[in-house]
This record gives sequence, structure tokens and C-alpha cells, in this order.
Amino acid sequence: MDNKGLIPPGLGYLAENIRTRDNILGASKEEGAKWAKNLGLPKQSETVFFAGCGYQFSSKLEAAMGLIRKMDKTPIGTDVAIGLAGFQRKLGMESLMFRVIGGGDTEEGEPLKAAIKVLNRLGINPGYLAEEEPCCGGLLHYVGAEKEYTQRARQVISKLTSRGIKNIISIVPSCTYSLKNTFEKLEMESSIKVDHFCEVVARNINSLHLHFPRSVKVTYHDPCQLVRYLGLVDEPRQILHSITGIEFVEPQWTKGQWATCCGGGGGFEAVFPEMSEMLAVNRTKELLETGARIIVTHCPGCIMQLETGLKALKAENIKVLDLAQIVATSLEDK
Amino acid sequence: MSVFSEYKQEIMDAAHNDRVRLALSRAILSYRANVNEALKRFPHTIEMAKEVREIKKRSISEMEKLAAQACESIEYNKGKAYIAKTVKDCLDIVDKLVGSSKLIVKSKSMTSEEIDLRDHLERQGNEVYETDLGEFIIQKLHSRPMHILSPAVHVPKEDVAKLFSEITGEKIPADIATLVGTARKLLREKFILAEVGISGSNVVAADTGTLFVIENEGNARLATGLPPIHIAIVGMEKLVPTLHDAYKVAEVTWRYANYTVPGYVSLISSPSKTGDIEKVTTYGAHGPKELHVIFLDAGRTQLAKNPILSQAMYCLRCGGCLYECPVFALTAGHFGDKYFTANGAVWAATLSGNPEKAAAVAYTCLTCRRCKVRCPVEIDGPAMTVEVRRLVTEGKQTEAGS
Repeated sequence: MDNKGLIPPGLGYLAENIRTRDNILGASKEEGAKWAKNLGLPKQSETVFFAGCGYQFSSKLEAAMGLIRKMDKTPIGTDVAIGLAGFQRKLGMESLMFRVIGGGDTEEGEPLKAAIKVLNRLGINPGYLAEEEPCCGGLLHYVGAEKEYTQRARQVISKLTSRGIKNIISIVPSCTYSLKNTFEKLEMESSIKVDHFCEVVARNINSLHLHFPRSVKVTYHDPCQLVRYLGLVDEPRQILHSITGIEFVEPQWTKGQWATCCGGGGGFEAVFPEMSEMLAVNRTKELLETGARIIVTHCPGCIMQLETGLKALKAENIKVLDLAQIVATSLEDK
Repeated sequence: MSVFSEYKQEIMDAAHNDRVRLALSRAILSYRANVNEALKRFPHTIEMAKEVREIKKRSISEMEKLAAQACESIEYNKGKAYIAKTVKDCLDIVDKLVGSSKLIVKSKSMTSEEIDLRDHLERQGNEVYETDLGEFIIQKLHSRPMHILSPAVHVPKEDVAKLFSEITGEKIPADIATLVGTARKLLREKFILAEVGISGSNVVAADTGTLFVIENEGNARLATGLPPIHIAIVGMEKLVPTLHDAYKVAEVTWRYANYTVPGYVSLISSPSKTGDIEKVTTYGAHGPKELHVIFLDAGRTQLAKNPILSQAMYCLRCGGCLYECPVFALTAGHFGDKYFTANGAVWAATLSGNPEKAAAVAYTCLTCRRCKVRCPVEIDGPAMTVEVRRLVTEGKQTEAGS
């Protein structure tokens, strides 16, 4: 006898979105692919760029989390409210959540556009599956739905393999880990090579001349999945060190493999929205103590959390940027 | 209210408690400074920790064999040894040895917390004193430990002064040295008058039957040395093959518990004895006349069969991971069930038989993995919490071995 009722409603809601709409937010796939509209990325290619739910739906993610946090502080609480949203969807009604995430797509996909710009400069013009990009389903693993996760992984692999894909450049840390980890675990033949975006950039760093337009103090927040799951400690630092014009500063202890989680790990923000915000504030404080004016990180979840932290701390004139963005901004015109 | 809502309420209350956060933020800074200092002074510990991981891994896979061997060794040394299959079996053995109306002194032991030993002994009409300062404070506050090594990590000195003033009827100032002195005075006669001393053990060597007890206060020496009867209750996961292995486990434990070297390490292998008159061995010289060692299974042999969750039993209880858990920094031991964070989820899933609580604790993990970076034996906390999530949602929480 299974016991699915024990899955916290917040996580259950996200998992259901993956099942029914093939993305974590439950938005439309066309919405998610909008960012690449004018970039002319081919759909068919041996090397594809895997954009991932988090970046493709980042503004929707923020809108949804903002609402969830507000609800979590009310006496109703999120658990009831999210349960209700799922219930409404079953009835075929536009749910409260869905209306919220329907709006707000002002700066959608900035880090993704930046990443493509950087890859192009490196002479790589990757394909992009757009609305056909499958959700890696990584969250299902964290929900505890292991069988479903493995099943989905097989589908994802066969979908990618059948399109003749040989290399994937992935950018969301958790998707990257999921794709790499799953591919290894299922021991599929002719396995696809998965690289994280920052690995590709770091490998070719000598061919880029990076100069940030103004002189500024920059710190870096290591996303959990990137640093402790994928082991990418040096690559982001190598990239940041190579950018002239910036002064790179770090917290004394909480850096690299000791970096403190932003509070958005493994779907935690959907289970404990209020505590997740407290954790975001704690981490943001650690980073602000360095005196940096720009916090660079490399994960859509971390970006959202750190922005929440800055807002709560009323820290002005401090920006959160994705690593791809600061590199793209620093590309010297040829 | 559901188990989850109740739990969420509890940990959110803790998260909103500024005193908990203040006490913990001080503790975290001091732990990091101390552990770095200890590892710098004794850098061989890092390699030794790898060896200890292998020792623990091997030991867990042959736990039952080691328990039988340790029992034989202890009996050979003229102690008494028992294997308790369940918590009830363990309490029955204790009851037979202790009876009622006894004065009992205890040293700190998470295993005895696991089986609610103090409550049980009190219900049997005994008077029980926790003698570790932190544990004493917790007992008197009618609270529960919030950290495995520093049970009162969440209580600031002002609160301790208030408590001690109530106990003594005198006005005790919030001065730490005075507070420590007060506890010493209060407990001194209890040690002397106690009829039974109860302890746990950090690691046990199966070949010699030797129990290692690591401490700084000196209370464990008194509790295990002064009363005429010493009972040790030890989880089976604490067994390792040899005295040599046990020493390595002990050294790595205290180093990652942020000590260069602890004040005291007691090695207890037999009841107190002397052969000083005509070389005739006689038991009960200055120390206890009787030594009883109870090895507790209570789900451990079952847990050993799950390749992911069995890691929980590698745990040395150094407490390092807790200081690196971002959620623990806000909530202290409210994130747990008997044991804390990921280990708490494992124990809740397999020992307490409470799937709702197990799920609640398991879903509190950020899966950020910093605990694993800290852990001397590289226990993968998130892998365990995710496995607990799988087991409970598949309705298999009682089959940890499946």
C-alpha cells in the first residue's frame, strides 16, 4: 500500500506539474521557449543546449514563490492553499497558481540569452529543442517517487538519443546532475556526453578576453548541486578571476564546498516557504559581508532566493547576476 | 491537526525564536574555529577518518557477529553482557537489574534518549540524575536535547541562572563559572550515594570487550566508577572488531567533535577488581562490583540491510554535521526525532514506526549536502532523506531492509 498522502502538498503540486505539463511550473511549453525566438537556434543538432525549467520559467517561478510565501504567513498556510490549487485544476478550472504564473514575463530568459551569446563567441552554435525539450524530472527523485523518476529518465534518454544528439550543454545545476547521474545509472549504450555550461567556458577561457565595463567588487555563491553534486568548485572561480575590472571577494568560510545553501534546495521552498525565505536572508547576509556590489551565482533557484534575501534586507544597489550574464557583459567587442 | 502541520508549527516556532538562533550562531562559529584548530594541530586525523569509515562499514556488515564476540569477551572479564532485540527487552533487563526506589546517576547517552530510559526509570519509582551539565539542565527544564553533544546548545546562560535559582532557592547570577560550580555542588553527593550508574559508550572493541567513554566534565568517570553497579547501554552499531580499531574511532570522534584531545577517555572492560591480597582476584574494590553491558538492536540489524540507510550507523555522533546544516541553525533539534537532521529521519522511519513523523523530518532536508562535506565518515545525509521519502511514500517504512 503506498502512502502518497505523506508527500507535502507543495512538492506534490510541482510533481503533478511535471506529470501533466512536462515542466515544474505547469506553464505552457511555448511560453518557456519564448526567450530563444530571435536567436535562430536550430532544432536539429548533435550538440544541444538544455535550458531547463528553472531558467525558462524564471519569472513565473518568482511570481509563484512570492504568492506561496505570502500564503505561508497567513493562518490558511500553504499546505491547504496548494492542495486547493491542485484540486481546482482537477476540476478543469484555472487555478489561482496558474493565473499568477501566467503573468510577469518581463525579463524572461536573460541568463539563457547570455549563455548562448557566450557559446556563440566560442564558436559553438548549439541546437535547442524549444517546446520539445523534456523536463528531466529530477524533482521526482527528491519527492521520493523513484520509480517514476527512473521511468521518466528512460523516456528522456530515448527522446534525446533518437534525435541523434551526441553532446548536451546544460545550464541548470540540478538538471545537469540529473542528466549526468541518470545516464550513468541507467547505463544506456551510446550515452550522450553532458557538460555544464561553466565547464565549457572554463575549458576555453583563454580564447575569451573578458573585461567588465566598470570596476566593481564581485562575490560568488556556489549552488549546492553545482558545487557539492557536480563538484564544480574551480571552474566558476577561474572564469571570474579572468575578468578584468572586477575585484573578486569571498566569504571567509562559507565558500566552495562549504557554501551555505540559499534555502531553495530540492523543492524545500515549496514545503517550508517561510523558512526558505529566512535561509535566503541568512545566506545573503553572509555574501553581503564581503562588501560585494554584485552577487554572481549560477542557478535559477539561487538567483530567486538571493533576490528575495536582498529585498528582505532592503539592500540597495546590489545586484544578483548569473555567471553567464557577467561573462556575456564582459565580452569585448571584436 | 496532522502530524506534519504540528511538526511544521513546532519547527517554525523554533525558527522564530531569537534565543535559539543566537545560541546556535555563537555555537557554530566556535565549533568551526575549534575543529579547524584541532585538525590543524593533528592533521593525520583526516586520513584516519577514511580508515574509520572502512572500519565502520565493515563492522556494520558483521554487527551480529561482533555483538556475540563482545558478549563473550565481557563475560570472560567477569562482566555480564546481553543482547536486547527490542527496546522492551532492553528495559526489562534494566528493570531486573535496578528494581525500584534506587538513586541512579547517568552520564550522557543518545542511546538512552532513544529508549526514553530516564522517564522509564522514574516511572518505576527511581530517582534519576543526569550528570552531564547540559543534560542536567535539559532534565530540570523538562525539555529534550537539541544537539547530540551539547544538549542544551539552545539555552543561554541567563535561562540557566534562572533555573538554578529555582532549584537551590538562592539567587544564582548568570555567570558561567558560578553556574558550573552550582551543578558540581548539587550533584556531588548524588554520585557518592548512587546505587547504580548508567552510561553509554562511544565505541566498543569486540575482541577485548572494552567500552570507550569520551568526556570532558569528569561526570562519566564518577557515574561509571563510584556506584556499586554500572550498567552500560550501547547501540550495536558502536561495535568494532579490535581495541586498535576502537582507538581510531575514538580519536576521530573527539577530533571532529572539535577537541584536540578530550579531558578524559575511560576504557572499561570489567568490574572493579583486586588481587593484592594473596593474588586472589576479588571483585568490587573501589569501583563497581558489577558491570552489565546491554547491546541494543531495536531495528539496527534490519537497518543494516538497506544499502543507503545503513550509513546512518557509521555515525560517530561527533555532531559536526549539525553545525553545518542551515536548517538546524534555525531550528536546533526540532529538526529531528530522537536523533537529528538526516539521521533523525532514518531513525524515525525505521525505529519509531511513525511514517508521518519520518516523512515530516525527511522533507525538512534541503538536500544541500554540506553535512556530507563535514562528516568524517562521509555519510550522505540527503541520500538518506530521499531514500526515507521513497520508503514512506511507497508505504515501506517498516521494511528498511527492502
